[in-house]
Amino acid sequence: MVNSGSIALEARTVDFAYRGPLIRGFSLQMCPNEVVGIIGPNGCGKTTLLKLLDGILCPSSGQVLLDGRQPLALLSRKEIARRIAMVPQNGGLPGHQTVFHFALQGRSPHLSLLGFESARDEEITREALRLTHLEGYADALVSEISGGEKQRLLLARALTQQPEILLLDEFTANLDVNYQVGLVSTVVRITRERRLATLVVSHEINILAAFCDRIILMSEGTVQHTGSPCEVLTAANLRQVFGIGFSVRQGINQAPEVMPLIQGN
Amino acid sequence: MRRLSRQRIVTVCAVLLAAWLLAALLSLNLGSVAIPPGKAFRLAARLFTGDTGQEPALETILFSVRLPRVLLASLVGAALALAGAVFQSLLRNPLADPFVLGVSTGASMGTILYIVLAASVGIQATGSLSLYARPAAAFAGAALTVAVVYFIAGRSDGRGEGSQRLLLAGIVMASFISSINVFLLTSTSQADLRGIFYWLIGDLSRPVDASIYVITLLVAVGAFLLYLMSQSLNLISSGEEDALTLGVEVSRVKLRVYLFASLVTGSVVSISGPIAYVGLICPHLARMVLGSDNRILFPAVFIFGAIFTLLADTAARTVVAPAELPVGVITALCGAPLFIYLLRRKGGGW
Repeated sequence: MVNSGSIALEARTVDFAYRGPLIRGFSLQMCPNEVVGIIGPNGCGKTTLLKLLDGILCPSSGQVLLDGRQPLALLSRKEIARRIAMVPQNGGLPGHQTVFHFALQGRSPHLSLLGFESARDEEITREALRLTHLEGYADALVSEISGGEKQRLLLARALTQQPEILLLDEFTANLDVNYQVGLVSTVVRITRERRLATLVVSHEINILAAFCDRIILMSEGTVQHTGSPCEVLTAANLRQVFGIGFSVRQGINQAPEVMPLIQGN
Repeated sequence: MRRLSRQRIVTVCAVLLAAWLLAALLSLNLGSVAIPPGKAFRLAARLFTGDTGQEPALETILFSVRLPRVLLASLVGAALALAGAVFQSLLRNPLADPFVLGVSTGASMGTILYIVLAASVGIQATGSLSLYARPAAAFAGAALTVAVVYFIAGRSDGRGEGSQRLLLAGIVMASFISSINVFLLTSTSQADLRGIFYWLIGDLSRPVDASIYVITLLVAVGAFLLYLMSQSLNLISSGEEDALTLGVEVSRVKLRVYLFASLVTGSVVSISGPIAYVGLICPHLARMVLGSDNRILFPAVFIFGAIFTLLADTAARTVVAPAELPVGVITALCGAPLFIYLLRRKGGGW
């Protein structure tokens, strides 16, 4: 773990219930310059967790603290949006805007009530488009770009917020594997460059294993295992969470490589 | 790519204001007696020099008949067009406007209920209480309708389907309340029925009383408060969850927008009746030229709505002179075909 010692965002024994408990006793400390990955089966509460960490949902008990001390519940949405950016699952993006203007929205939390984007805001936006390799599409309409480009655009908008904490929800879903690798390595590079505290939720166990400093294995709303990819991604742990067998072997860079054991008849 | 700036907004508004002035001069000129702009300016200048009374008939026509009507048509159009732009942005639906959502009809029900009740307890319709009570009743009718429409549509999840349900609920409510309005008017004995039935499709021909000052103030305050939320509404147009992550207090903004849009709509409808298509057509035309950033769209559409309705009302009182059409007939006559054209236009987006 690459840890600078300070805490960017902390969840302290967070519970959340909506028609029954969804998250139970979740604790996490996110630090600058660190990529944390969350793995777990569908319905284990990953998206709910991200909303709790972004303050969109409030814990039924426990707290989410910015810098390890300011409760999110006491901050305005705007204050939170200046510090925490969320890359949502690729939903239907409005198609009538240009790529540039869509990314420019990320400056909104930094604007005053009657403010307009300045030349500097536009510069920040162009920089984010450059980092996500979208600079050539600035004038294209959002409806004209591909699915992979839309995911990168959502990342670009989050970077335009200039956050300290980056939350990514299934942002490699529905992408070809080359795009997945490209996108995650971009996220890791930016995390290092800007010393972000980054949390990635994904189904792609191997990609998270290769890129994350720390992995959290979740099921049924609670953390089952947490630690380095090698510590967490063992056949026994994965079987416990997913309920099927896995073969795990050491891959390149010592990252574990995980294969589900598929049994025919 | 042009950056949005205060300067660009001021320029656009200045151009639109100049166009409004031309439309106003045209409207002041047209009618049974022509008052060309030069004449109008001379008469106006005499007001300041205290040299009035030379041409009393012309002065009465200009200052007591046409000018109030020009200002009223402008105010009503501005308010309805702004409310339309606001609802379209809030619901992410190009078909939303105060008329379609039933807000205008609800406001007219509030007004009619007030007039009927006030007459039955002996409150003078032109008395000082009515100056405030009539717009307040219209606002209550508008806000109540919005609440009911919201309730019928069920909890909106902020996605497309929710806003479709909301529109359908609005259309149902609008036709339901229209029937209540007709029922109320037919079953009451005091009302001047012909005038009131005109009013039900939007009419500006009734004489303007002092309530216009109260309504102007309400529209000005409501429009300003809505403008303050223009950037939040930009983000809500991209999706409510996205808006939350980008720092918008979505539920608070939505509640306020509904309230202020109901206030603006209700205030003018208490005088004009529900005029169709202004809130639908004006934002579309403005968006085609200016794009969909509400920070420039809202002020532009406010002035553009004034111009559109002023011209429509001028046509309403001149094309079949000496008779008059309700302005709602004109806005629907040009609004409906224009709207069909916009719908069928390829790649129009919104």
